[in-house]
Amino acid sequence: MEAIGRAVQTNSAFRAIVRPLANTWVNLSGYRRLGLRYDDLIAEESPIAQEAISRLSRQEIDGRNIRHRHAFQLSLAHQEYPRAKWTKAEDDYAYLRPLIEEVRLEFAERDAFNSMTTVKK
Amino acid sequence: MFQTKAITKLAAPIASRTYASVASASNGIKVASVADASESPMASISLVINAGSRFETAENSGVAHYLKAFGFRNTQSRTSFRTVREAELNGASLTAEATRENIIYTVECFKDAIPYFADVLGDIATATKYTEHEFRDIAKLVAFESLSARSSPATRLVEGYAEAALTAGRVAIVGTGIDSAALAAIVSESKLAAIPASSASTLSTPASKFNGGVQQIYDSASPVSHYALAFEGASDAATTRVLANLLSGERRLKWNTGVSPLAKLAAEEGFGLQSFQSSYSDASLVGVVVSAPNAKIQEAVEKSQIASPSAETVQRAVAAAKVDVSEALATRAGKRDALAQAAFGRTAVAVESAASAAAKTFKSKPVGAAVGLSQATPYVDTLGF
Repeated sequence: MEAIGRAVQTNSAFRAIVRPLANTWVNLSGYRRLGLRYDDLIAEESPIAQEAISRLSRQEIDGRNIRHRHAFQLSLAHQEYPRAKWTKAEDDYAYLRPLIEEVRLEFAERDAFNSMTTVKK
Repeated sequence: MFQTKAITKLAAPIASRTYASVASASNGIKVASVADASESPMASISLVINAGSRFETAENSGVAHYLKAFGFRNTQSRTSFRTVREAELNGASLTAEATRENIIYTVECFKDAIPYFADVLGDIATATKYTEHEFRDIAKLVAFESLSARSSPATRLVEGYAEAALTAGRVAIVGTGIDSAALAAIVSESKLAAIPASSASTLSTPASKFNGGVQQIYDSASPVSHYALAFEGASDAATTRVLANLLSGERRLKWNTGVSPLAKLAAEEGFGLQSFQSSYSDASLVGVVVSAPNAKIQEAVEKSQIASPSAETVQRAVAAAKVDVSEALATRAGKRDALAQAAFGRTAVAVESAASAAAKTFKSKPVGAAVGLSQATPYVDTLGF
């Protein structure tokens, strides 16, 4: 499985075939039709996600809030955006996941320090 | 290894003092250190960056203060949390300080932890992340520490300033409790050796200029007025200290009225007279703060001037200044300052004669600042300078 994954990432010909399929697949999952990005769907009800969100820049946090509002409104009205207003693949980048990973490591580090035992040399 | 070396060296009679010897690390950073005379287990290591507030421009004013506050924050290789916890485990203390000339990050720790903390300081210099969320934290701290930091420089600005400031020519490593050759070896092996020799952007170094002026702050509620007179000091720190002692109204011995002219004045008339001085690489300031009841403030200011001190008075001031300097050098912070000066190649220039310096300085046009009943406080231009 890993070998296939690596092949997809490194083989340019394979990528050229798979990339459009991947985009179609993601578009079918529906969130882009509401103008959302993948990272908008990550559950934010955890201390780690809360801390990560608090580290976003003003611009990112404003964009995230407005996307949530629009998506919520569309969902209430049982509507989708017209195709031209769907989230574009290049806009759907990971703006939150790296921060979540950073915070997760920091929390793990804090736990490790809090539960360590010191050994006298 | 270095510890035993340093201690055996100390055990032998100290033939030549290694005080303020300056070595160079592999990338040309100046390393100045002084080994303790006692066998103290403590040592300190400081990263001194010659990029204090005087190198700021109108576009980035306040930025040195922000850079200081970014010390010991998240870096590429360790988080700020880890730095603090490991310092606690080592029993070390971390301090950051910004002066007009320098930004100084200091670690005071046990001697055997010096190589580890050299790496921590190297991380600060080469791998600090300057993240935006930390900047928000720091901005609160800086706003609290300084009302003058009203401008809102962005992280980018700090990063740019850091890039220009953190080059080998502007950086010195200063240590106490460890021999400078040993420290230079440690520095060359640590991450401090990764500090670049130069950078695309550089800091401007305008020459200091003395600008006179007057400030009056009205306070009618107080029965006492305060008046500060400050002169442009002598070109070297030692003479400036002598001048400050000439202006001093303090008594050095208990139960007497003091011998300097201003001490006598303070004791007889009940005025408060306190001198102050600050010396920088190319400028200095010396002055006196006069406090007196509102009715007497004009008289107090007029009387507290020294036109031409007697030879004996100058001699006393020189002796007092020597004691002040020696006392300052006995502390770790005092040693650090002296070593940083030495590392940047600012050792004493030709010392002026104290008497001629006094004659020149105390006749120059001073700066005046008054707090109190401004109907009673004199104007600088009526004082006859």
